[in-house]
Amino acid sequence: MFLTQLRHELWKLFGKQRTYLGFGMFFLAQVVILMVFRFSRASRGMGDLLENNGYSFTDFLSPLTAAAFTNFWLAYLLLPLYGSLIGGDLVAKEAEDGTLRMILARPVSRVRLLALKWVAGAVFSLILTLVLGLTGLALGMMFFPWGGLFVFVPGELFGVFSAGDGLVRYAGAHLLMMVKATTVMGLAFFFGCLPVKPAAATILALSFIFLNFILMNIPWFADLKPWFLTYHLNLWQQLYEQPVPWSRVGESLSLLAGFNATFFAAGAAVFGLRDLKS
Amino acid sequence: MIQLRDLNKRFGRRPAVIGLSLEVRRGDVFGLLGHNGAGKSTTIGMLLGQVWPSSGTALIQGHDVASDRARALARVGAIFEAPAFYDYLSGWRNLEILSGYTGPTAPARLREVLDWVGLSGREGQAVRTYSHGMRARLALAQALVPNPELLILDEPTNGLDPEGIHEMRATIRRLHAELGLTLLLSSHLLTEVEQLCSRIAVLNQGRKVFEGALAEARQAQDWVRVGTDDFPAAVRMLTTEGLVTRSQPEGLVSLAAGVPVSAVTKRLVDAGFAVHEIRREVQTLEQFYLSLMKEPAPLESVASLSGENR
Repeated sequence: MFLTQLRHELWKLFGKQRTYLGFGMFFLAQVVILMVFRFSRASRGMGDLLENNGYSFTDFLSPLTAAAFTNFWLAYLLLPLYGSLIGGDLVAKEAEDGTLRMILARPVSRVRLLALKWVAGAVFSLILTLVLGLTGLALGMMFFPWGGLFVFVPGELFGVFSAGDGLVRYAGAHLLMMVKATTVMGLAFFFGCLPVKPAAATILALSFIFLNFILMNIPWFADLKPWFLTYHLNLWQQLYEQPVPWSRVGESLSLLAGFNATFFAAGAAVFGLRDLKS
Repeated sequence: MIQLRDLNKRFGRRPAVIGLSLEVRRGDVFGLLGHNGAGKSTTIGMLLGQVWPSSGTALIQGHDVASDRARALARVGAIFEAPAFYDYLSGWRNLEILSGYTGPTAPARLREVLDWVGLSGREGQAVRTYSHGMRARLALAQALVPNPELLILDEPTNGLDPEGIHEMRATIRRLHAELGLTLLLSSHLLTEVEQLCSRIAVLNQGRKVFEGALAEARQAQDWVRVGTDDFPAAVRMLTTEGLVTRSQPEGLVSLAAGVPVSAVTKRLVDAGFAVHEIRREVQTLEQFYLSLMKEPAPLESVASLSGENR
C-alpha cells in the first residue's frame, strides 16, 4: 500500500511542469559553461596549472574534468535552490491549493502522509543529481576526448586521477551529492510543514543554507566549520581528495542522517498539531 | 452515525464552537445551518480530524475521530466548497490518487462511480479543462469511491451556477434515495436546507440554538391565521375567554395550551363572526431561522430549546 501511495505522490510531483525547472536549468547551465570552457581561453589557466605541476594538460582536458568542474559550481549554488524549491512545495503547496484538505478527509494519518511526501522528495533529489551527473558527462563527451580527471579548488583541493579512478570518484561524488540534495529538500520540507506559503518555505531553507555558508567562510570562524550544516553538505568534495578521508565522510553522513531525521520529526510534530481549514 | 459531545474549539482567544453536542442518526439528511462564521466548517473540520477540538469528543460510528481517525473515517466521504484537485492531471488520476489514501481501489469501482456521477468519457481529460459542474461531479466521485456510509458536504453548492445548484441538489436527493447514505450538509442557504434535509441544527456564533426535525422548526411557534369580518373584536373575545394568549395585527393568534383550532372556529361562529379563513400557520424556515438569530441565546436557554425539540 505504501508503494502504491508513493507512486501516486510521484505522479503528482512529476506531473507538474515546475518540477522540471531544475533539470532544464542544469542542462542549460552545463551547456553554457562547457561551451565557454571549450571555445574560449578559459581552459588555458587550468592547462598552465597542470603543466607547472608536471602533468600533460591534454591528458586531463576530458569529459570527466569538464563535468566535475561544471557540476562543482552547480552543486554549490543551484542544487540547493531546486532541492528547496521542491521540498518547500511538497506540503505547503498542497495546503495552499486546498488539496491537502481533500487528502485529510481520508483515513490516512498525517505522519504517513508526510513520510510519503518526504520519500517522494528524496526520489526527486536522487533523480535530479543522477541526471546532473549523467548529462554533465554526456555533454563533456561531446566537447572533449576521454581522459583523466583533474579537480582543483584554490586552497582546498588539487586532485589528479586516471580515467578509471576518476570515473569512480566522479560517480561517488554524485552519490554523496544526492545526500546533499535530499537534506536541503528535507530542510525546506520542514519549513513547508509550518503554516507558511510554499515560496516562504523555499526562501527560509535557502536563507538557512546561505547563512551557514556565510558563517562557515568567515575566516575567524574557521575552527567552528564542523558545526555548520554546509560543511557537512559538501561532503561530496571529499571523494576528490587523495586519499579519501573516509572517517570525515562517515562523520558527515551520520550527522546528515541526524539532521534529516530531526527535520522530519520536527516537521511532523508541527504539522500534527496544525488545524487545517479552508 | 455522528455524535458530538460538548465540542469546543477556540482559535487563540476567539471561540469558534462552544459546547456543541448533536447527533446525526443513520439515514438522516442532516442540515447544519448557520451564518458565515457560525462554526459550521470548524465543526466539519473537527469531524474529519482536520481541526483539533479544544475539548469535547467527535464520534463517527462510535469511533473517536481524534484518537481513532482511521476507523472513524473508513466509510466517510467528504465534499468541500470549491473542491481542489491536481488540475494538471486527469480526472481518472485524481480519483486514483485520492482514493488511494483510503485503500486499494479496483479500476472497476472507479468506472462505476464515474458512471454514477455522469463523468464517463471525460475521465481522461485534465481537470483544468473541467467546468465547475464537472469539478463538482468529480468531487462527488472521489467521495463515493470508498463506498461510504456517511457523506459530509460542506457548502456543496457554493460557487455553482443555478443549473449546477439544481443538479447538485438533485444528486444529493439521489444519494439518499438510491444509495441510502447518511448525509451531513452544511449550508447557509435556508432554501437548500429546507429542500433537502429532514433534521437540522442551527448554529449562531458557535453555539447550537436549535436541533430537531425540520417539521418541528416550522411549527416551533404555534400561530393560527384567523380571517374574520372584525379581527380586533374576535381577538378581544377569544382573549377574554382564555382561548388565545397573543395576537398579531396581520391576523395571527397564538392559542392557549390545549386549545384545538376547532374550538376557536366553533366559538367564533357561535358569536356571530363571519369566518372566511382559519388555518394553522406553518412558519417558513426563514422565519424560524431569523427568530433564532435575533439575539444570541444564552447557553441555558439554548440547551432547553434543543431539549424541547428533540
